[in-house]
Amino acid sequence: MSESSVIGAAATSPREAFRHGVRDLLPAAPGVFAWGLVTGVAMVKSGLGVPESIVMSLVAYAGSAQLAALPLMATFAPIWLIVVTAVIVNLRFVVYSVMTRQHFAGLSMNRRLWLGYLVGDIMFARFSALLERQPDYPHRIAYYFGGASCNWMWWQVSSIIGILAATRIPVSWGLELAGTLTLIALLVPLCRQWPVLAGASVAAATSVLAHGLPLRLGLALGIALGVATAVVVERGREEA
Amino acid sequence: MIDSYVRWAILGITLATFITRSGPHLLGARLRIPPAFDAALRFAPACALAAIIAPDLVFTGDTLNLTLENPRWVAGVAAAVIFATSRSMIATIVGGMAFFWLLKAWFVG
Repeated sequence: MSESSVIGAAATSPREAFRHGVRDLLPAAPGVFAWGLVTGVAMVKSGLGVPESIVMSLVAYAGSAQLAALPLMATFAPIWLIVVTAVIVNLRFVVYSVMTRQHFAGLSMNRRLWLGYLVGDIMFARFSALLERQPDYPHRIAYYFGGASCNWMWWQVSSIIGILAATRIPVSWGLELAGTLTLIALLVPLCRQWPVLAGASVAAATSVLAHGLPLRLGLALGIALGVATAVVVERGREEA
Repeated sequence: MIDSYVRWAILGITLATFITRSGPHLLGARLRIPPAFDAALRFAPACALAAIIAPDLVFTGDTLNLTLENPRWVAGVAAAVIFATSRSMIATIVGGMAFFWLLKAWFVG
């Protein structure tokens, strides 16, 4: 994907940097669109109303956390567990925000919080790649803002199309499964390292075996045992 | 779903978004991620996704169903294989749903 990017050309104005950001995001746009569409459909098909789904999409702006929350909401899991689950699924954003923080240091708190809200998987990857090749890239904030706001718009438009279309799709099609399939597409690339694969397997098995526990605590137990397994496997490999 | 419950849930997910995305910007620039927390940051998201996905695929209602009459888990396995080989999210969603519909038509009727 990076071959088609404009990385390498320094921007002479914030406006041009903004355009670079937008252009660097475009190769990922079809994937973002499909993901947003599916998230929109899955929200409505899991029982959320159309206005609630639109509000959730606009304020949460977190596809994986939204999709992860749906099965919990459908079984009336306690709110604290939904918040904890959403935070855990979103933990990667903490890493992104910590790493982009130095570049936003001179801005007002208000702007920093908005730029933080806009961070996403794809734009973070593009931004990191740009600064790796061109540590002195001028107008980097405009570049980031261009790509991130474009990603936000693309995501919201596709989500809302999905939400509105979902009301016309029969329940019998089972389209809410598409939400889970999207989560699988997010999980698979994470499992390329042995410790993560081991941890995810233990988490999955625990969560299934402990499914009968109240308050969906099997989920919390699965995550805890999974992380512990991953840590142990990683240590074992370091010592070997 | 009950309206007030949904409202609290949406508020909760919004809070989670704010903490994780904007939270680090609220803190001082010198603050670093402590090493102990580093493992959780690297491993927890994958574990959380796996723990959410697995029960959603293998349970029909409250019964564990790993036969072909539950096409969801087969579609899930197919989707994982498709993503691992194609790296395409669209192919994963379309392919997984195609498996699901075919098996459903075949075994459930």
